[in-house]
Amino acid sequence: MSFIEIDNLTVTFRAQGREVRAVEGVSLSVDERESYGLVGESGSGKSTILRAICGMAPVSGGSIRIAGKVLPAQRGRAFSADVQMVFQDPYASLHPRHTIDRTLSEPLAIHGMPDRDARVVQALVDVGLPPAFRFRYPHQLSGGQRQRVAIARALMLKPRILLLDEPTSALDASVQAEVLNLLSRLREEQGLTFLMVSHDLAVIDHMCDRIMVLQHGRTVEEISRDDLAKANMNTPYARSLFEASADRMLGSTTEPAR
Amino acid sequence: MSLLEVRNLRVTFDTETGPVQAVRGVSFSLGRERLGIVGESGSGKTMTGRAVLRLIRPPGRIEAEAMTFDGQDILNMPEREMRALRGKRIGMVMQDPKYSLNPVMTVGRQLTEGLRLRDRLGRADAVAKAIAALEAVQIRDPHRVMDAYPHELSGGMGQRVMIAMMLIPEPDLLIADEPTSALDVTVQAEVLSILDGLVRDRGMGLIFISHDLRLVARFCDRVLVMHKGLVVEEIAAANLLAAKHPYTQGLLNCLPRIGGPRGPLPVLDRTGV
Ligand SMILES: Nc1ncnc2c1ncn2[C@@H]1O[C@H](COP(=O)(O)OP(=O)(O)OP(=O)(O)O)[C@@H](O)[C@H]1O
Ligand SMILES: Nc1ncnc2c1ncn2[C@@H]1O[C@H](COP(=O)(O)OP(=O)(O)OP(=O)(O)O)[C@@H](O)[C@H]1O
Ligand SMILES: [Mg+2]
Ligand SMILES: [Mg+2]
Repeated sequence: MSFIEIDNLTVTFRAQGREVRAVEGVSLSVDERESYGLVGESGSGKSTILRAICGMAPVSGGSIRIAGKVLPAQRGRAFSADVQMVFQDPYASLHPRHTIDRTLSEPLAIHGMPDRDARVVQALVDVGLPPAFRFRYPHQLSGGQRQRVAIARALMLKPRILLLDEPTSALDASVQAEVLNLLSRLREEQGLTFLMVSHDLAVIDHMCDRIMVLQHGRTVEEISRDDLAKANMNTPYARSLFEASADRMLGSTTEPAR
Repeated sequence: MSLLEVRNLRVTFDTETGPVQAVRGVSFSLGRERLGIVGESGSGKTMTGRAVLRLIRPPGRIEAEAMTFDGQDILNMPEREMRALRGKRIGMVMQDPKYSLNPVMTVGRQLTEGLRLRDRLGRADAVAKAIAALEAVQIRDPHRVMDAYPHELSGGMGQRVMIAMMLIPEPDLLIADEPTSALDVTVQAEVLSILDGLVRDRGMGLIFISHDLRLVARFCDRVLVMHKGLVVEEIAAANLLAAKHPYTQGLLNCLPRIGGPRGPLPVLDRTGV
């Protein structure tokens, strides 16, 4: 039995008289302490899979189990102590009129955790932000600074599972490296399990043991990290993602830029 | 004559804890070319782009020796004239597209509004043009997306809708702030080739803000490297990967690679720079 088991998941949105099958029959399982990556075309349903786990998407078929248990319809407090998500869109997920301090300390207050002050400061330092930033509002931060606040917030409750939706896509190389190192270290120290979306195959390769490639809401193929590195993929779509990867384009084995 | 001329631009925010200098004296000129701006998170890239459009909200303020667009003084131009330039002759793709789109208006209305009011197109023509723009940015089901609200789009779809909206008026200058950061590589390549075509065929000027050095090295002509509100290096894009500035060099070393080692990635030593 795996830690996260998604079986034949289908998500159907209904809007303006139309049906959108955002996810169709996707199955995947992630072991405890494993790190699993989702890649694929823009609009292929990656974020929707993560949102479905959090109870934030209209699931129309299939099941999601964590540690063998089917999730309750209302995810509730116990769920958020165990599972935290970093949203793709940090602006939308941070409350515009709450200071960073409030955003980071509120989960601690709700769950009755001690040492709030020290933890907030430590969380900011961990993601490379000066502690003085706790007095700012989201609009007073740059895009990458906001994304780091969103990551810090997800870590506040020391969850066992982190759902990471493009966690470093707004970050420059140095901050990305710091955040990825932090995530890897926490996974090691606290035995975290990751389900992570990124369009950057090099990031996915660095962080994940197994990878699922998606297109139009369906699974294209699942690849191990070794097979990715060896370019051992079975489908033309997965291969095209690999071949167009920026990482390869400037690699020593290929031609230099232009 | 260059399309855009910026001399000694400063952007300062007065906060409760004192002034924050987001941009501290940036100068550059732009022709009908692709100019990249790269740099660390918080280095002032977005504020530089927004300042050109005078989109800095109080308590932020803009100071500069000069800011001219196509021979016009955009530093001192009345707000009314500035508004006429925005969107029409100078477009900006915002870093948070879903936040910048109107949340209570369908994508279709947002795309066609300008065409109908400004260009006086009929409804059917405006819709046809909007759908063509969505198809160009690789939106698979443009009819559905026309009827959708921004929250019903994926991250990368929101980004592409924003790009389509900025390209419809055929601006002379486009400031694109991380325009492809949420796109997979194949869709990204399509979007870049549209931008490339506009620069080459129509002579549009493009400011391409990105933290992705490899992308910028491949796509742009010239690159400004920003650090703490200053331009620390200006370099031909083709030479970016051989950049001299220790900061630029350091950034390149931090990138993971497919098949690379799994240990901690090198990080920038911030004490030195
Ligand atoms: N609330 C909603 N109502 C209607 N359709 C939606 C809604 N949310 C998402 N969708 C649709 O579901 C599909 C999948 O979206 P999703 O956000 O999961 O894609 P994604 O793989 O994360 O893409 P990206 O890489 O661009 O972020 C898209 O076609 C999108 O328009
Ligand atoms: N309203 C504000 N008040 C105070 N400081 C601000 C405000 N808005 C932005 N800043 C600061 O200005 C600096 C430059 O911000 P800017 O958004 O230009 O960064 P950026 O280079 O675009 O970074 P990123 O790559 O993370 O988007 C940041 O350090 C940010 O915290
Ligand atoms: Mg997404
Ligand atoms: Mg920015």
